This record gives sequence, structure tokens and C-alpha cells, in this order.
Amino acid sequence: MRRAIESDVCIIGSGITAAMVADRLARTTSARIVVVEAGDETVPLAQRAAMRERFLRYGENPWGRDHLEGYEVEGPLQSRSMQVGGLAMHWGGVTPRFSPEDFKHRSMFGVGSDWPISYEELDPFYQEAEELMGVAGEQGPRELDPRAKPFPMPALPLTYNLELLKAWASSAGIAMWSQPSAKNSVAYRGRAQCCRNDTCSPICPVGAKYSPDFTWSELRRANKIRLIPRTLVRKLVLGPSSTTISHAIAVDRDHPEQPVEFHAKTFVVAAGYTWSSHLLLLSAQSGAPNGVANASGLVGKYLTGHRNVQGFVELPLRLYPGMNEQHSLVTKQFMRPKSGAPFIRHDLRVWESSTGRAPRLADDSGALMLGDTILADWRARAKTGAARVRAYYDVVPDRASELTLDATRKNEWGDPLPKLAFRDAPESVALRAQTEDSIRALFANMAKAGDGKLLRTSVDNFQDHPAGGCRMGNDAAASVVDSWGRAHDHENLFVVGAPTSVSGSCANATLTFCALSLRSAHEIEKGLPRRP
Amino acid sequence: MLSRRSFLSSLAAALPLAVLVRRAHAAAVIHLESDPATLDALAAAVLPSELGRAGTTRVAREFRDWGTKYREDAELVHGYGTSRLRATGPTPLTRWTTQLDELEAQAQSKHQQRFRDLGVEQRADLVRAALAGQRLDRMPSVVDANHVAVALLAHFYDSPTATDLCYNAHIGKQTCRPLSAQARKPLPMIKLSER
Repeated sequence: MRRAIESDVCIIGSGITAAMVADRLARTTSARIVVVEAGDETVPLAQRAAMRERFLRYGENPWGRDHLEGYEVEGPLQSRSMQVGGLAMHWGGVTPRFSPEDFKHRSMFGVGSDWPISYEELDPFYQEAEELMGVAGEQGPRELDPRAKPFPMPALPLTYNLELLKAWASSAGIAMWSQPSAKNSVAYRGRAQCCRNDTCSPICPVGAKYSPDFTWSELRRANKIRLIPRTLVRKLVLGPSSTTISHAIAVDRDHPEQPVEFHAKTFVVAAGYTWSSHLLLLSAQSGAPNGVANASGLVGKYLTGHRNVQGFVELPLRLYPGMNEQHSLVTKQFMRPKSGAPFIRHDLRVWESSTGRAPRLADDSGALMLGDTILADWRARAKTGAARVRAYYDVVPDRASELTLDATRKNEWGDPLPKLAFRDAPESVALRAQTEDSIRALFANMAKAGDGKLLRTSVDNFQDHPAGGCRMGNDAAASVVDSWGRAHDHENLFVVGAPTSVSGSCANATLTFCALSLRSAHEIEKGLPRRP
Repeated sequence: MLSRRSFLSSLAAALPLAVLVRRAHAAAVIHLESDPATLDALAAAVLPSELGRAGTTRVAREFRDWGTKYREDAELVHGYGTSRLRATGPTPLTRWTTQLDELEAQAQSKHQQRFRDLGVEQRADLVRAALAGQRLDRMPSVVDANHVAVALLAHFYDSPTATDLCYNAHIGKQTCRPLSAQARKPLPMIKLSER
């Protein structure tokens, strides 16, 4: 027998972008909101200190068994984690904004695609997201770091180490400042001030870092939403002879024999860059033979992100690694080339590091050390300091950077799993070596400016902060959703956050995904009864 | 009375592997807890003398605690960029207790004394002999250490105490500390003798 659950808005997924949408709709409308999550409930805050302890001691996953069995997929899945709160339960809480250039690559640099919205249009939604999460930030130089209003919280103070490293960067002609972070520099919305436990990712034991479970707890306490965990949505179904979504079919993992249907006026797919496209493709049916929202054939295409070049620099500075290793300096100095300049853009971050300064068992000759000699050797090598430098750089996505259904791998309910393949557009392929050389040269110059030495560099091929798959645009033939996240093909279907991104910028992208989601929520609420 | 090895051998013949492993871990815990002196003596031989006997004994106790609370097949923290899951491996405790027994046997064989009764240098020499031929460079993670002496070192040198000792400063890494204090240089440690 089928079980049907009715609502005004059905949100699929309970990660950070789902939390943004639900929070906004619950504040401004009286809509009945149902949130469906495939994973389990998350670990309560009260248990996180103990879970962190086991992570520190043994490397154990502090979030328990937060995954579905049998989901080994081909390609670079960002994380296997699936639970109430999504990946943002273990994110680093780093929240830079994109820069204005991110939204007009084609018109400024002749590469990639422009977004259908500008930075200025997104600015108020960035602000709303920062206030909802609680972002501590320092205003950078205005010409590099434009924003209409101040950060909601004062910046996290720089550590003693970062103050020294900031002066070093300055000597290399680079203006750096405290990385904006969704971590409380002061107590905020009932959550504690950060106390430098320094395990923000994977787990903050005191709740100083924002994670979506805080929003879900508030909304559930106030009876403003109904959140249903352990329920996997498998298909969106069109109404008879209609282009609107009638209902979603799901499986209750505790009662798989009893299918669940979610009926709603509006459906919001907020399941991240993988599971959003995956669901739309799984929803192929009469009336949508290639999947829901896929008349353009672009669902799953243009997956995007950014690669990074990382380096370690030895410096004649007495640093004290461990003061707060997850906090960093940031600059947007290299994110903002002039229009018409070569498309080489990257951010730059600097952290304290203990590279080359860790205790070791054998000396330079290979002789075993025991007792006092290990400590003496460590002390001698720790007299100078080291910094980690890293630059995310833009990668223009190819159309064939894609998520497809993998006919060879299925989940336990018989649905094909996704297969992921990231591919650069030809212009990115052509620019890759020049970009990476340019970043390595920058690191070498920085080292020289500080009388230091660039120890090593590496390139990470994984495209971090992956996004795309349901890119937004004004042209229904060249995009999946409009600038509000509404599917071109279905009036009552929204896709929000990461999947709608046109390009991945060269900075941590979660805040942008949240701002985009809040912008979608502003559009969704127009069709809903206002809260009196 | 059955020796520990005989006890384990008899178990192996009769029980499924998972049960056997759990019981072997439990037997190793009992072994460590009932006879802490060998591990304490090892700690005093391989850890920095600045810790003093009380300090090395405390590190040995914390190391034992680490070992006794180890869980097999616990899910490890997820990697980014992959869907592969990883889990903790077999308990290292059984290996470590065997190695402690071997150090004890070597002490008896070479010096006709118990390991705990040897001088620090004699104990260190036995450790060097046990580690001879092993490729050692970086400090491994505790669980990856292939000898109990290395595991003990790895456990200590991963701790906030070790970092503070190295830098002679109250850094207190990965402990809850006032945010406002992070802008200032960490305060120097004061030796007990200077108080």
C-alpha cells in the first residue's frame, strides 16, 4: 500500500542549500514544508566532543555510518557522506564570495559562459546567507572585495603566526586579510564562540561553526517544517498530460516494501551537484523521455569546479604551528584581472604549516633516533617556520564534463548509480600549463621576498567545490533552469544551489551556493501564502 | 595454567575469526593492564628525559588507554573526491604485546634481568636491536607503527604536550582555548624547577 504525504513545498535533500530555502520559506510564508533526506539523522551536538575525540585518536569518521550502502560510484564523487545536514556537517566553514568577474567570463575574457545574473544582483543574497549562517569576516580592500553591507560578525582574529605571514605576504606586494568563515568570532544565534579546537573540518565540537542541523533544529522545534530522514526520492513524476511535477516517488529505507509518494505544489531539488542531476535523469518517463527538466539535453552537463596548485615555503620566522591551523589569510588580488587580459585567475591563501618540521625517527644520515635525540632534532628543525600556500584556479567546464547514469552499477532498489567525469573546455586545456606555471612563479617570488625557500609544489587534479549539471541561463536551449533555479520545462520545479552554477570560480563556493538558493527561495515564496 | 600464547592457540582452533580477534584484543588488554611495568620501562627508555619518570609513565598510561579503546572495522573519516569507504584494521594491541614479550625475552637472554630492571641505555639498545633493518624515517601514525616502541613514540609526538615541549610554549594545539588569545605569541613554558 502506498503512503502519500502532502505539502505545499517538498524539498529534496537536507544539506546547506536546502536549509537556506527552508529557513527563508518558513520565515516569510505559511506554507507546509516537507524536507526529504535519504541519509540518517546526524550526530547531536552534545555527542560531538566524544566523536571528535575518536576522530583525533583513531581517524574514525565522527559522523557514524553516514552513507548509503552500495554507492561506490565511478568518478570523483566529492564525498560519500549522506545525512541530515549533508556535506556541510563536515565542511571547513570557509565563506569567501565570488568576484564580479565570475559572472561574466565570456564578455570580459572571451571564454566560457556568462551567468544570467551579476555579482551586484547576488550581493543581497550573499548578505542574507552570511547573516543566516553567521559569517565572521574582515572587509578586504574595497576595490578587491566589494560588498554593500558589513559582515554580520567581526573577523576571526589572526593568529600570531598569521600576523607574521601577513607581513611576509605584504613584503611580496600581496594584500591579505582574514579569511571569511562561518565560525563564530562571538556567540551568535545561540551558538558558542569559536575556541580554536581546530577540527572545523570534519567536526566542530562546540557548534561555533555553522552547520545545517542548527537550522533544522530551530525549524523543527518551531514546527515550521517536517523533515523525513532515511527516505530516498527515486523519481519525479509528471501529472497526466502535464508539464508540472505531480509527485515524487520515494523509498522509506526502514519500510522499503511500502512506497512513499510526496505530493506538493512546488518541488525543490536541493541535493547537490551529484544527486540533483541524478534524480532528474532517473525521472525519465513519457513526456520527459530523457529525464525531467532535460529538454535541452543538458542535465548532468557542464560539471564545474576548480583545481589548485599548492606549495610549501620555508621562512626564517619563528612560528608556532598548532595555534589555529584551519584559519588562513586570503586575497582576491589575482581573481580580478582586467577585461581582455589573459584568463588566468586564482585566489591565494596562506596557512601556518609544520611541513619539514614534524618530529622524525631517523636523522639526515638515516640513523635511528630515540629518547632526547628526537626532541633535540625536532627543536633544531622547528627554529624556522613554514607556510602553506594554495591557489584555486578557474577551470572552464566542457559540455562533456558530465554526470551520466551508469548502466553497470545499480543501488539496492535497482536504480543506476551516477558516473562522473570532469573535463576542461578547450580554452582551459590551452591555458592550464601557463596558469600553473604562473602560480608556481608567484610562490617562488613570495619565497624570495621573505628570504625563504620554496620547498615543493603540487597540483591537485580533483576539482574542488564541484558544481553544475543543471546550469542556469536565459536560453532554454542552452541551460536547464532560469536564473531563479526554476526548470525551463516545469513551472513548479526548482533546482537550487551548486547544480545551477555556470562556472566554479576560483574560490570556495559554498557561500555562493547558499546565496543562489536564497535567491531561488525569494522566487518560490511568491507563489505561497505569506506569513501573517 | 595456560600461557597467553597457548590460550590464543586454543581459541584459534575453536572459534570464528571475528570472535577470535575480539578475544585476542581482550587478552592483550588484560596483558597490558595487568603488567604495565614493561611498557613503563620502554617509555622511560625511548621518550625524552625532560618528561621525567612521572611524565613517561603518564604517556605510557595514555598509550595503553589508546590501545584498549581501539575499535576494529570502525568507519574512517571520508576522503574527498572518492566514494571509497575505509575502515580501521585489526587491533595492533596483540602485535604490541607480543613485541613487549620479545623485549622481555631479549632482556632475559642478554642480561639475565627483567627489561624493567635494566638501565635506560641497555633498554634503548634492545629497542635499537628490535628495530634494526626496519625502514624508519617519518613518524608514522600510531596504528601504522610496526613496533610497539615506534607506536609509543608516535602516540606521544602527536600530542599537544609534545608540541608544547618542542616549542617551549603553551600552544595547546587542538584544545579549546580563548579565541582572543590567538593573536599573541604563545606564553613560554615554565619548568617546575623555575616556579
